[in-house]
Amino acid sequence: MAIPVTQCIIKLHEEHHNLEDYQGGVPRWCSGCGDNAILAAVQRLCRDEDLAPERTVFVSGIGCSSRFPHYMKTYGFHGIHGRAFPIAEGVKMARPDLSVFVNTGDGDCCSIGAAHWIHAIRYNMNMTVILHDNHVYGLTKKQASPTSPMGMKSNTTPRGAVLEALNPLTVTLGVQNVSFVAQGVDWIPDLLYDIIAKAYRHRGFSFVRIIQRCPEFLPKMFEPWLHDPGKTLLLTHANGLTPSAETSRIYKNQREHDPLDIHKAREIASGEDPIPVGILYQNPEVPCYEEVRGAGQPRTAEHIRAGLEAEFDKVTIWPEEGRTQPRAA
Amino acid sequence: MDMAARFQDQLVFHMTGKRAGDGLAPVDVTQLRPAALAPFRDLARLRYDYPLVLPEAAADGDYVHSLSAVVGSLLADIAPRGIEGERLRKHVLRLERELRTMLARGEAGTLSEMWATAAARLGSGDVTVAKVLAQAGDSLKVDGDVVDCDAQLPARFVRQAWRAAQARKGGEFRQLVDGLIRKLSDIQRAAFAHSAAGQQPQALAASIGSAHADVFDFAVMSKLVARNAPRDELPAARRARIEGALSVLRAQPFYEDPAAVGGSMRYQFEFDDCAAAVDAYRARLPRLTAMVRAIAIAELESSGAYVAADHDPFFERYDENALTADDLALFPDYLVTIPADRNDASENAGLIDMLSAGLPVKVLVQQTDLLEEASIGTGHFAFGVRSARLATTAMGLGGMFVLQATSADLYALRERVQRGLACRGPALFSIFAGSPAAAGDLPPYLTAAAARESRAFPAFAYDATAGENWAARFSLAGNRNAGDDWAVDPLEYADDDLQRVTEPVAFTYADFVLCDRRYASHFAVVPRERWNDGMLPVAQWVRLPERPATERVPYLWAVDADDRLHRVIVDARLMQATRRCLLLWHRLQEHAGIHDSHAERLLARERAAWETEKQQARVALAQAAGVAATEAPASVAAPAPAAEAEAAGEKPPSDEAWIETARCPSCNECQTINDRMFAYNDNKQAYIKDIDAGTYRQLVEAAEVCQVAIIHPGKPRNPNEPGLAELLERAKPFL
Ligand SMILES: Cc1ncc(C[n+]2csc(CCOP(=O)(O)OP(=O)(O)O)c2C)c(N)n1
Ligand code: SF4
Ligand code: SF4
Repeated sequence: MAIPVTQCIIKLHEEHHNLEDYQGGVPRWCSGCGDNAILAAVQRLCRDEDLAPERTVFVSGIGCSSRFPHYMKTYGFHGIHGRAFPIAEGVKMARPDLSVFVNTGDGDCCSIGAAHWIHAIRYNMNMTVILHDNHVYGLTKKQASPTSPMGMKSNTTPRGAVLEALNPLTVTLGVQNVSFVAQGVDWIPDLLYDIIAKAYRHRGFSFVRIIQRCPEFLPKMFEPWLHDPGKTLLLTHANGLTPSAETSRIYKNQREHDPLDIHKAREIASGEDPIPVGILYQNPEVPCYEEVRGAGQPRTAEHIRAGLEAEFDKVTIWPEEGRTQPRAA
Repeated sequence: MDMAARFQDQLVFHMTGKRAGDGLAPVDVTQLRPAALAPFRDLARLRYDYPLVLPEAAADGDYVHSLSAVVGSLLADIAPRGIEGERLRKHVLRLERELRTMLARGEAGTLSEMWATAAARLGSGDVTVAKVLAQAGDSLKVDGDVVDCDAQLPARFVRQAWRAAQARKGGEFRQLVDGLIRKLSDIQRAAFAHSAAGQQPQALAASIGSAHADVFDFAVMSKLVARNAPRDELPAARRARIEGALSVLRAQPFYEDPAAVGGSMRYQFEFDDCAAAVDAYRARLPRLTAMVRAIAIAELESSGAYVAADHDPFFERYDENALTADDLALFPDYLVTIPADRNDASENAGLIDMLSAGLPVKVLVQQTDLLEEASIGTGHFAFGVRSARLATTAMGLGGMFVLQATSADLYALRERVQRGLACRGPALFSIFAGSPAAAGDLPPYLTAAAARESRAFPAFAYDATAGENWAARFSLAGNRNAGDDWAVDPLEYADDDLQRVTEPVAFTYADFVLCDRRYASHFAVVPRERWNDGMLPVAQWVRLPERPATERVPYLWAVDADDRLHRVIVDARLMQATRRCLLLWHRLQEHAGIHDSHAERLLARERAAWETEKQQARVALAQAAGVAATEAPASVAAPAPAAEAEAAGEKPPSDEAWIETARCPSCNECQTINDRMFAYNDNKQAYIKDIDAGTYRQLVEAAEVCQVAIIHPGKPRNPNEPGLAELLERAKPFL
């Protein structure tokens, strides 16, 4: 909480940021990798929202896409495989005042991290989640991921993937407390930016799946969509995307969709060709876990000691006879 | 005597206030009361909002309970369905009635105390009853003083609500200030750990604690740390600033500090006159200003946003003139409770001054008498001089919260009271608490309710912050039949033939005055055999124009102790006051948008215009009938937006090389080929920065690798570049 006088005084010395203020190390992604487009859109968002770098955190798991925090000049946590969500939840719980982003790959999120993903949706903590979905494990050099389409050849599926691909959108839309689901593609930058901006401004767990090209291992995978704008279904609405005339000129295949309508959202989400792009679902009324649990309480030494004592007491066996009850704190 | 002569007596009384002859009886207020009040003879038997329970240490939204609601939820919790439950319910409700009677007798106490007394009393002959009632008492979820709707209620009620509001504000303030103290102390602690002093062996030993102190060699550790850890001393100015802010924050005298050893010094905020409150406010202003300054500095320091060059000059000049209403809202509000006997002209002048200055005060003005005779002593009613006018005057000042209500409404308006106390800036509560004992025999609750029902003291609220216009700010909620002149109830009685008759009867200002024994002489009882057609109910009489009114006599319905119905006629002086009361009520109605004269005039004008237009259209239609329609209605095709968008589209093939920058997903490929020729713009999207920095070959190669195919190489600029024929062929798909 900032008192009114501070709010105006801070204006005495207002800092404005430009794109370079958010650019960390030089990306080591392959050239042509769709991750670059996502990075550019996110850096633009940070600049346009004037996010203070010291109050912004990017959390990731493991994978090419999970290198994202290295390329942002903000706080970052390059976590362990599949565990980006628990780390981000901890950050948010301790510091609800920070802007928290999660970058995760289709392997990281939908395979090893799937359990955390489901519960993160249900917790609905206020964070922006970007699923870089390239349909493959990139970092470990081309193994099939849960979102690899049937028949896709890879090092682990030399004769083609045998299972139908998992659809991260319908999964997310099926979990209780879901509050924001959107889909973008890395090759339409202005829509990508608009979608990420909407996600950031949503109060709750904003899940954005971005179809991302991996030219290194799947160079032809999205070519048909790249070259035929008719294979993109643009979702428009006053509460969703309102594409520019220029975008509409190219992407004529449009459908008006009210993001409050979860049934339509599920129906649209299950379509894979054309690829739906836009805001599928948004419900601003879903409570956030950190608010329900009163996060951000002060952490004094006394608090921490009392908390630890209480935890230890739960598992302490009292040697004296008759003392089966934990000691009063 | 014939009928006309009898009516003459009544007219004479009406005009002069003098009873001539023996045809009219005087009014005995102890016997007669307005017919509308007939059902409320024994309040102790009724379950209504009062009495109230005021819990101690109440939360803001939960500062008052109605006894009947408390008992109701107790029964819902403990009384089972069926016969068992029914019996328990009966006993508990009897106890509730006993509590009401005890209060009416002047007994007082907390709910648990009074419950115990009542349970013992009711169970004196029956151990089981005593036990059941005592057990029920143990299940009560609420405790606190039980208060009835009496002259003390407004002060107790508003003070209770105010304390709850201050407790909430205090909690928020403590959270803010404690958080800042902690953060500033953390900065100091971190600075110490990084300083030369903090890296001394003793300091290191202290930071480890005693349990494992022997396993370390702190002298060596100190050397190591001093060599490797960064030295990060706080600059002297920053240290002084942090220390200064901390000492102001720690010594704040505005709210209780539970952590302070031996109790903290704390200001008082409850006053019973305006001047003392204003003096206290002024005297404390420097401390308050220093506190706001310290909070602001602490917030900047703790978020690392203090920039000396920008902020020092600001804080050097920071004084009370820079305080805003929002800053003041952090601190406790001043509660001024003006008792009824001090609600005089000079106090009111001070009050209006204080309110118009916008100080953070919440003022309760208590009224106990609405019907004083005018001080000029003409026997005229000084209608609303001190009472009703105060709230409307305050409302005229704007910029504040005003609530006028009677004590009978307070419970129903509890959220509104809370809103008034939570608002930033001043609030005025003008509350009528029933008449002093001299005035009549009705219990204060009924007098208060009668004052509201009769429009003598209508309930209204004005909240300057609620919106831009009167419709949003002003509310008449709490008054029955707010759209009409008077509140109306059906009066049921048996006529001469013992048939049931129902008649709507308005409760007017004159009915309210009838409850007050001081004004009995303004009324006369007309015996039944003298009732006649010249008599007109008061509500209808006031609506008559002056001339016809002089030929009729206004009357009220009243009942005596045996529930017999009487007609009571009213003299002209009181009717004059009744007219005035109605006038003021109409003014309030206009504020609330009811019968708004401007709106009604506008509506009439628009309606007339619409009628004329419709008439003309009808005439035109009649003329046109028979003439065949020769023209279809003109419909101009709107230009298709799609076509427009199409036209604005793609650039024609160009000789110049170019990139569709807006579509670039920043993949880096082109810059890998030549990063002087291709560059990113502010949005990190590629454009051709310097066409001469590379070759046509590089342009064509970039076009080929660009996965979204947005690089257009144009025509070669150097006709001598080798291999052009082949390059031109490769460039074709991208032109
Ligand atoms: C516990 C664990 N198991 C397995 C691995 C090996 N591993 C590293 S990245 C990765 C898959 C990454 O795929 P994805 O999340 O889709 O990211 P991408 O590289 O495609 O962006 C795997 C299995 C690991 N690092 N840790
Ligand atoms: S392997 Fe694929 S996903 Fe990874 S950086 Fe290269 S192109 Fe991108
Ligand atoms: S190659 Fe195309 S998409 Fe990549 S940066 Fe250059 S212009 Fe943009």
